[in-house]
Amino acid sequence: MSSTSNAPTGNNRVRIVVATSVMLTFISYWRAAAVILNDLGSSAFYAGGIAEQAIGKSAPWFVLAVMLFAFAVRAVYVESCSMFVRGGVYRVVKEALGGTLAKLSVSALMFDYILTGPVSGVSAGQYIAGLINDTISIADAHGLIPSAVHHLFHGTPQVGTNAIAVVFAIAVTLYFWWENIKGIEASSEKALWVMQITTVMVVMLLGWSLFTLLKVGGHLPPFPTLANIHYSDTSLGFWKHSKLPHMFGILGLIIGFGHSVLAMSGEESLAQVYRELAHPKLKNLKRTAIVIGVYSFVFTGLVSLLAVMLIPDDVRVKVYSDNLIAGLAMHMVGPQVLRLAFRAFVVVVGFLILSGAVNTAIVGSNGVLNRVSEDGVLADWFRRPHKKYGTTYRIINLIVGLQLFTIIVSWGNIYTLGEAYAFGVVWSFVFKTISMLVLRYRYKGERMWKVPPNFHIFGVEIPVGLASVGMVLLSTAIVNLFTKSVATVSGLIFSAIFFTIFTFSEKVNRRKHAHTAAQMKEQFQLQQAESVERETVGIRPGNVLVPVRDYNTLNHLKWVLERTDTHEQDVVVMTARISQFGAAAYGLSTEQMFSDYEQTLFTRAVSVAESFGKKISLLVVPARDSWSAIAQTAHNLDSSTVVTGLSSKMTTAEQAFALGSAWEAIPEPKRQFVLQIVQTDGHVDTFRIGPHTPAMKNEDVVLLHRLWLNVTREPGLENIHHHDILTEALTRFAHDYGARDRDEIVKELRRHNVAGGPLPARTVASQIPTVQPNPARSSREDGSSSPEDEGSE
Amino acid sequence: MSLSVILVKILEFMFVAGWAGTAVVLVLTGIEDVGTLLDREDEHSH
Repeated sequence: MSSTSNAPTGNNRVRIVVATSVMLTFISYWRAAAVILNDLGSSAFYAGGIAEQAIGKSAPWFVLAVMLFAFAVRAVYVESCSMFVRGGVYRVVKEALGGTLAKLSVSALMFDYILTGPVSGVSAGQYIAGLINDTISIADAHGLIPSAVHHLFHGTPQVGTNAIAVVFAIAVTLYFWWENIKGIEASSEKALWVMQITTVMVVMLLGWSLFTLLKVGGHLPPFPTLANIHYSDTSLGFWKHSKLPHMFGILGLIIGFGHSVLAMSGEESLAQVYRELAHPKLKNLKRTAIVIGVYSFVFTGLVSLLAVMLIPDDVRVKVYSDNLIAGLAMHMVGPQVLRLAFRAFVVVVGFLILSGAVNTAIVGSNGVLNRVSEDGVLADWFRRPHKKYGTTYRIINLIVGLQLFTIIVSWGNIYTLGEAYAFGVVWSFVFKTISMLVLRYRYKGERMWKVPPNFHIFGVEIPVGLASVGMVLLSTAIVNLFTKSVATVSGLIFSAIFFTIFTFSEKVNRRKHAHTAAQMKEQFQLQQAESVERETVGIRPGNVLVPVRDYNTLNHLKWVLERTDTHEQDVVVMTARISQFGAAAYGLSTEQMFSDYEQTLFTRAVSVAESFGKKISLLVVPARDSWSAIAQTAHNLDSSTVVTGLSSKMTTAEQAFALGSAWEAIPEPKRQFVLQIVQTDGHVDTFRIGPHTPAMKNEDVVLLHRLWLNVTREPGLENIHHHDILTEALTRFAHDYGARDRDEIVKELRRHNVAGGPLPARTVASQIPTVQPNPARSSREDGSSSPEDEGSE
Repeated sequence: MSLSVILVKILEFMFVAGWAGTAVVLVLTGIEDVGTLLDREDEHSH
C-alpha cells in the first residue's frame, strides 16, 4: 500500500495530495465572447437612454467614444492575462499595490457586479411594461378597449412602468437566487444561444433602421461641443451650481464621457473566462477581445446613434429613454403590426440577455467574494456550504439581499441605477490600469504581450499606451466624483462598508487561521502537486475513486470499504474544489484549497476508513465543474471504478450522462471505467463510462447468428466469425450514416426513441431463412461470442 | 486662478493627452487585430 494512506506517517499525520491546477473544460473564443457579451452587450438596452437623459442629444457620440475606448481597456486586460492566468482586478491590484488597495478595488468591483443585477432586471421590466402600455394604447386607438374599461381607468388603461419593472426585477433576481443556491453551472452553451438570438435581432434592427433612413432620411445627432451638451438637473451633481462645467469645453466632454462610461461594463469577464479559453490561449483571448469589441461597438454604439436619428425628439426621452431599442422598433417604416411584432421580439431578446446579466451579476459577485473569502479577507462563516446543495449560500444571500435592497430603493428608476453603476465600472478600471502601470516596473515574470506603444529612454521603459488609457480613466473617474453625486455617495458608502467588512474579517481570520493551521498541522500533512498523477498520490492502477462533497453523506464510501480489500485495490477519496466562471480567474494557494470545511470532510472520511480498519488516499482537486474533475481524476489515476452517492439534483442516469459527457471531453488516449452510484436505500446502479460492449438483446443475437450461418455458407467465407459480421455491419452503417442515408437512419432511430420501443430486430431476423448449423463450425468460432452463440453452434 | 480651475485644467490635460495616446493604442492594436483575424492557423471554432 502506498504511503498516502490514513495510516499515520512517520510524524503521525495523514498525507493529503492537494492539486493546484484547476481541472477545466476549455471553450472556444466564440463561446468565451458569448459569455462576456451576455453582460457587456446587455448595456445596449439602457446605456444610450441614460446618457441622453444626462447630457442631451449628442449622447450617442459619447457612447460611441466609450465603445471605441473599450478596445483600449481590452488591451489592458489582454496584457494582464498574458502575465497572470488569473488576471482579474483583485489579483492584479494585490500584486501591484498590496492588500489594502486590493480590498478597496474589489469593493468598487463588487459595487459594479451587484448593481449589474438591478440595472439589468429593472431595464428588462421597463421594456416589458413599455410593450404592455403601447399595445394597450394601439388597441385603444383601434377601438378595441371597451368604454367601461376606459371609464374605470379614466382614459386608456396603463400599467405603472416603474412598479412593473420593480416586480419583474425582484422576480428575476429571486429566480436566479434560487438557481444559484441550487448550484446551476454557468453554461457557455446557453450564452452562445442567447447571443445567436441577439445577433438575429441586431441584424434585423440595423438593416431595418438603415432602410428606414434611406426611405425617410434622418439627421446625425449634434456634435459634442459645449453648446450642444445639455445637462439635466441631476447630471452635474455637486457642480450643479458651479460655473466650471459651463466654462471649459473639454470638461464638458469629460462629463459627457463619464455619463456614458457604464456602456463598457462587463470587461472584467474577459479576465474571468481567460482561464477557460482553449489553446492557443493568448491568441484566442485577442480574438475574443476583437469579437466583443466589434459586437458591442456595433450594437451599443450604433443603436444609440440610430435611436437619435430615427425617434422624434418629443417622444425619445419622454417615452422611450428607458426602452430605447423598443422606441427604435416602433419608428421604422412598415405596417404597425409588423413593428409591434418586432418590438415584442426586442422585448424577448432583452428579457433573455438582461436576465442572463442578472445571473452573471450573482455568479460574478459570488466568485469574487468566494475568492476574497478564500484569501482570508471575508469570514469563513460566509463560505459555509449549503447542507443540501453544497453552494456558498450565505454569500449568495448577501449579494441577492443587497440587490433586492437596491431594486426597492431605486423603485425602478433606471437612470438613478445607471448613474450609480458607473462608479463601480470606472473605479475598478482605474485601479486595474494603475496597477498594470506599476507592474511594468515591479513585475519581473513572463509577460507575453504589452499594450503599445512603449519607448525606452536611458534604458527605462515608458509605457505610453498604458499610461494614456490610465489618464483617460482617472480623469473621467475624478470628474464623475463631482458630477455623479448619487454614484459618489452610494459608491463610497458601499465601498466603505465592504472595505470595513473585509479589513475586520481579515483580522479575525488571521487569528483564527493561525489556530486552525496549527490544529491541521497536527492531523494532516498537505502535499502540493501541480497536477493529479498516480505516482504523486502513490497508488496502483485499477483503484477505486470515491468523490465526496458533503460530510453528512458518506454512505457510498462505507459501501466501497465494505467490499474492497485495500491490500489488493487502493481506494482514493477525492473532493473537488469548485470554481465557477466568476472564480476561475483567481488562483488558490494550498491552504486556501484545504479550508476548515475540507478538513472536517476528510476527518470524517478518515474516521469512516478507520472504523473499517482500511486505508484510503486523500486528494483535493480544484475544478471548474465536479464532473470534469471526477472524469479527469479517474483518467489520470487509472481508476477502474468510480463510486459516488446519489445527487440531490439528478437521477442516476443523469449523473452517468454528465460523467460520460465529461469523459468524452478528455483527449485520447483515455481508459474506460465503471461508475457505481450508491443510493440511500443501498441500491446500486452501475454504468460503464466510455466505449464498451453494449448489452445485446436476445433478438439481436439471434439476428447476428442467422446472418453468420448464412454468410458462412458462401464459398470462401467458412472461417468468418460473428464479430466479423458485426464489423461489416457497423462499417456499412457508418458509411450510410455518413453519406446518403443519414436522414433516413436518424428518422428511424428517432421514431423508435420517441416510441420508447426497441428497433424491430425480431422482425428482420424472422425474414432471414433459418439454416441448420453445421456442427463443424463450432470449433471455428472464437471466444468472443455470446453464450447464446455458443449454445447453438 | 482658483484651485478648482487648476484641478480642471489638469484633468483636461490628462483627458486630452490620454486620448491622443489612446488613439495610437487603437491604431497599433487595430493593425495587430487584423493580423490576428487573418491568421487562422491555430483557430479552434466549435
